[in-house]
Amino acid sequence: MSKISAADFVKAFQKAHPEAVKSIESTDPRRADLVVNNESFIDAAKSLRDNFGLLMPVSGGAIDYPDDNRIQMIYYLMHPGSRFMLTYRVDLNRDEPKLPSLTQVWDAMSFHEREAHEMFGIEFDGHPNMIPFLLPPDWKGGHPLLKDFKGEGQQ
Amino acid sequence: MREPMIEPDVMRISWGPQHPMSGQTRVLLDVDGEKVHRIIADLGFTHRGIEKILENRSFFSGIIPVDRMAMVDTANMSIGYVTAIEKAAGLEVPERAKWIRTLVCEMSRINSHLYAFGLQAESTGYFPAVFLWTTVDREVLLDLFEELTGARWSFNHFFPGGVHHDLPDGFADKVLKAVKYLRGRFKDYWDAMVENPLFENRCDGVAILKPKDALKLGATGPVLRGSGIDIDMRREEPYDAYGDLEWEVITEDACDVMARTKVRYHEIGQALNIMEQIAQSIPDGPVKGRVNAFMRVPEGEYISRVEAGRGELGFHLFTNGTGNPYRVKINSPTLRNMYVFERLAELNEVFVADIPVIINSIDPWYLDSDR
Repeated sequence: MSKISAADFVKAFQKAHPEAVKSIESTDPRRADLVVNNESFIDAAKSLRDNFGLLMPVSGGAIDYPDDNRIQMIYYLMHPGSRFMLTYRVDLNRDEPKLPSLTQVWDAMSFHEREAHEMFGIEFDGHPNMIPFLLPPDWKGGHPLLKDFKGEGQQ
Repeated sequence: MREPMIEPDVMRISWGPQHPMSGQTRVLLDVDGEKVHRIIADLGFTHRGIEKILENRSFFSGIIPVDRMAMVDTANMSIGYVTAIEKAAGLEVPERAKWIRTLVCEMSRINSHLYAFGLQAESTGYFPAVFLWTTVDREVLLDLFEELTGARWSFNHFFPGGVHHDLPDGFADKVLKAVKYLRGRFKDYWDAMVENPLFENRCDGVAILKPKDALKLGATGPVLRGSGIDIDMRREEPYDAYGDLEWEVITEDACDVMARTKVRYHEIGQALNIMEQIAQSIPDGPVKGRVNAFMRVPEGEYISRVEAGRGELGFHLFTNGTGNPYRVKINSPTLRNMYVFERLAELNEVFVADIPVIINSIDPWYLDSDR
């Protein structure tokens, strides 16, 4: 397995894909953080897997920022050679959150995208198996992890 | 779950949640005769919305639901959340508290692995006695937990900045006695179960997960190390006292059910070594610092990754300067391994009778995958 430090990875990726990068940094030798443009989302992910050795999918999830009218989708990836974790992010419009499915690059993101779909209402184009995941099949209460969701007993 | 379509000549079996080996999940098996073509896991039976609950709780009271994410492995669940809060608030933990945490985490890991080990024996159908042995041996650990924390399960012992109770008088000697007792028992497990030809027949060469596939599918914990990849968060990102102790990351190269069972077996041995080192040389000092229970932490985001019994557990904590987290993303180990389980039928020839053996080699705990 190839080895590259998180700081070197940040420099190399910035050099290879300047057009895709919105922001990239590494504040800790075990972490790197990358925000990409929506248009380059899939191409940058393929490059991460094929050219930079980020072979291992860890997880995926989203976070809601109603004040900025955006939802940020975050994928967690690990470099198995040098053991740093990359948070791979993309910002979505909160009114119509839509994203090509990353299962075409790492198919293990399937479960995490299904979860983000029902918890945040994000549409994943090209997901092979978008069926309800954690919520009951007859759930009609909305998307629970959005900030404006009110559960039973909450005003 | 709306079920995906099946081909006309395939039969679909719904396995669980009432099956004695399934736990709180349902697995759909598309079978042709005895051969399983496709596995579909239906999770969510125990979904409680812990990520949402945490947003409405203070940092301190949030530890309680996190503690209940895996009942046999509570210490390793709460240590992840507590570590994330400590990073956020910039809290220092006294040295003695770190060692006590490591001791409790390793006892919890043994508790969890013993449970998995017993279920693995039970799942093959030949060794119900081994499950009873492990249940009785876990009592030794539960008694220690009770003496230390006052509770046998979900003891909620850690908080940001320390632990709630110091070790009682004579506790170190009791730990050494328990280590000696458990070491004696492990030889019995090895002879009665692991090297038993009946067990070997059911487990050798079943559900092979090659290292390349293990990486690609995002396996973690003993499943990953059973495929020969030495990733263990205790070594990659040392927390508490792990950096100061002598222990090894266990791997096995056979990549099958037997390899995963052996990884758990040897990890129990390593955990006993760690317990012994801590009991012999724990430093003196205070066990908690001064912490405000209604603390506010500065805005930012913090990631902690710890090694729970079932694999890497991650917490991504977002804070906004108030007394509650803004969002907590929990990266659960069982969720990752359940995806591996779904795909094993495509990578191997899997038979219906092997399903209980395979699912217990993954060691799922649905309360942590569903959250």
